[in-house]
Amino acid sequence: MFPMMSVSPGMMSPYPWLKELKPEERGLYLIHLLVTCANHVATGSLENANIALDQISHLASPDGDTMQRIASYFSEALADRILRTWPGIYKAFRSTRITIVAEQILARKMFSEFLPFMKVAFVITNQAIVEAMEGEKMVHVIDLNASEPAQWCALIQDLSARPEGPPHLRITGIHQQKEVLEQMARVLTEEAEKLDIPFQFNPIVSKLENLDFEKLRVKTGEALAISSIMQLHSLLASDSELRKKSLPMPMNAAGVHLQRVNQMNQRSSQDLIEKDMVNSRSPSNESASSSPLSSIPLSNMDSFLNALWGLSPKVMVVTEQDSDHNGTSLMERISESLYFYAALFDSLESTLPRTSLERLRMEKILGEEIKNIIACEGAERKERHEKLEKWAQRFDFSGFVNVHLSYYAMLQANKLLQGYNCDGYKIKEENGCVVICWQDRPLLAVSAWRFRRGIHD
Amino acid sequence: MATNRFICEICKKGFQRDQNLQLHRRGHNLPWKLKQRANKDQIKKKVYICPEKTCVHHDPSRALGDLTGVKKHFSRKHGEKKWKCEKCSKKYAVQSDWKAHSKTCGSREYKCDCGTLFSRKDSFITHRAFCDALAEESARSFGANNLNFRNDLNGNLTNHQQNLDHGFSGIPLLGAGFRPDFTGMAPAGNSDQKPRLSLWLDQGNSQLNPIYANSNLFMPNMMQMSSNNNVFDSSNQFPWLERTAASANLSLFPPQGLKEEAVSSKGLTMAAAVSLSSLYSDNQNLHLNSSASASMSATALLQKAAQMGSTKSNQTFFNNPINRSELHQVFKQQALENSPPNFVSSTSTTSIDGLDQSMQRSGTVENQQASANLHSGFRDFLGMGGEGGANSFLPPELAKFASMSSAMGLSPFSRNHQHTTL
Repeated sequence: MFPMMSVSPGMMSPYPWLKELKPEERGLYLIHLLVTCANHVATGSLENANIALDQISHLASPDGDTMQRIASYFSEALADRILRTWPGIYKAFRSTRITIVAEQILARKMFSEFLPFMKVAFVITNQAIVEAMEGEKMVHVIDLNASEPAQWCALIQDLSARPEGPPHLRITGIHQQKEVLEQMARVLTEEAEKLDIPFQFNPIVSKLENLDFEKLRVKTGEALAISSIMQLHSLLASDSELRKKSLPMPMNAAGVHLQRVNQMNQRSSQDLIEKDMVNSRSPSNESASSSPLSSIPLSNMDSFLNALWGLSPKVMVVTEQDSDHNGTSLMERISESLYFYAALFDSLESTLPRTSLERLRMEKILGEEIKNIIACEGAERKERHEKLEKWAQRFDFSGFVNVHLSYYAMLQANKLLQGYNCDGYKIKEENGCVVICWQDRPLLAVSAWRFRRGIHD
Repeated sequence: MATNRFICEICKKGFQRDQNLQLHRRGHNLPWKLKQRANKDQIKKKVYICPEKTCVHHDPSRALGDLTGVKKHFSRKHGEKKWKCEKCSKKYAVQSDWKAHSKTCGSREYKCDCGTLFSRKDSFITHRAFCDALAEESARSFGANNLNFRNDLNGNLTNHQQNLDHGFSGIPLLGAGFRPDFTGMAPAGNSDQKPRLSLWLDQGNSQLNPIYANSNLFMPNMMQMSSNNNVFDSSNQFPWLERTAASANLSLFPPQGLKEEAVSSKGLTMAAAVSLSSLYSDNQNLHLNSSASASMSATALLQKAAQMGSTKSNQTFFNNPINRSELHQVFKQQALENSPPNFVSSTSTTSIDGLDQSMQRSGTVENQQASANLHSGFRDFLGMGGEGGANSFLPPELAKFASMSSAMGLSPFSRNHQHTTL
């Protein structure tokens, strides 16, 4: 069928007819090859996977057209997955890889600069916060991944323009790199001084899963807002490990709401294991409490949400990728992520030229996400994106109730998008949440929540 | 800085407003009192209008908020610019503007390849995205990289040719009097032109040799063209194409010297097509993504693949494995058959509008449905039924393929190497 000549780097491609393919045909063929290869990888027939990857290599290219780029990243991810079955080779292959953190940070910044998605998320988040904080004199905002000062600069400006005057503002930023937080502190403090707003920035250098809620120092009397942009899904990774062990039920640091925690977890959508644990404990046994959250290395999603709930936030605004990349079967994940990243790559194609270095860097970051979704399992697979409905369920179970995003927020978002002069970006409203789409493909979903006081709120 | 008149008795921290001090006192667990506004309902805010009668802000509905602001506005708009920046000679009417500028002047400058300077990063980036200088550079790299470019161009122009054939029959403007002169053009390609030329010549049009000395990009299309004439229907779907090509003809190739004999209508089409290729190659410089618009968006491709997968006609793909050129034809046929005519035609337009149209059309498919289709389409595509061993649920043709290729002994892993299922 396909004449199998060995290909050395200097030789011409053994499939000259491949060069004759038109871009559309090539794209379709690439999809076929990717699916075939994925199937082979999923079933362990690695020789066939190898053949498919070889074919793909003649057609795919990281600086070609959209489908060629997608194919190159997806095929790399599949190859990564295969190579992991030889851990020695895999590790040796990556042993000289150096990740320059500063470059990564810079590349991530490009997403907010060139694509409107992040900016739209910022605008909607800020608007939800401003509306929730109407009348509040002391406002505390916690940013679960404080990497982009622009968002909070805008919030400071919005708050200073309030008719009732600005509140006393405190922003707590969580991030793994100290330098990022220092930079953010500088920028924000300067902005607040310019506008004469009492302001304080608290940096917390920590991984999100190891977050010590004590350090947040949420004071009574403060109105609390939490902003989480594409952070929560990584907490699902440790869940898959926890399912195997049985941990004692973590409580929030204050040790209160135990009754609530029990009841919530009885209704938890997550684990039967947790259900068993709840049944075996007596609710009155508060003194035999488990260790405070800080000493548990891996916190699962429920306990994290419980802890957030325990802070009684007035509003929690969550932005997440609105696509199911957390399926248990590889083929499910591949087919969903193909659509999702195809839309993202299409939007990049419409925004930046093919020669753009920034675009290449951004696509590389997306490629890392794709690799994580396809090649990794267990705790290593952090990019566990899920659809909005699933998140809504989770928040509901953890004691949050949805706050509809306002029409004004959507207006602002639409205005922002119009400035981009590109037909592809769209916003739609779904049950009070905002979904940012490329064409009709949902990419990001923004939703706002507040904590529910009683069980029957 | 304004004075901090309100001091905390415990930590001596200063505040400009009493309210802030009171809030701070709460942190020390001291008694605190926040004042409310006395007359909440009768708040009248002072606004200021610009004294200059001709100014927009002279009208109360466009009044400004504070005295300092209106003074600054007056100076800026109606005042004399007394403050001058030392470095860049920019002049300001308001001292604070001047100060603010001189702080940042020259400190951070972005320079585009075209020579324009920017002080702001965002304006620099926006400019760069559309800068002509960048476009020229990439055109140079395009010229060097003929192979890839030719592929794209092949893909684009083949469709164009076929439509041009039909489209131009009705244009009197391109009638017999039109004879392009290409002797002035330097041939871009060298030795590989000859064999192609003669091939093309064999197909019966001897007059236009000089034209194609120039457009090596164009040659392979000629070969395909005569064989693929029947694919598209003859209705004129591309009026814009004619217009563009027509204007291109007139602008790019003014009849200068008439060396050839009267050009036949087919030759005319060639000429028009050539001019289109030059127009297109010019367009490559200006619209960096025009080759992209000729290929479908990845989203559209995926949906098409899902459609193809869910209809079972893909079996032909696997049933003709032997002849590889046959396979190529089958696949091409596949691509052409399975799409409705207007879908394909929209992909061959190079205008951005056309791209939008095709994207919109494909975008209207419900995505959930499409992704479900793709997934089940995938399974159909591969003939998967359920779980099983490695080759057992591949369709018999694929299994044959798999064993054939490993029988050839060229796979890097030995056949007997057992791998764990990933």
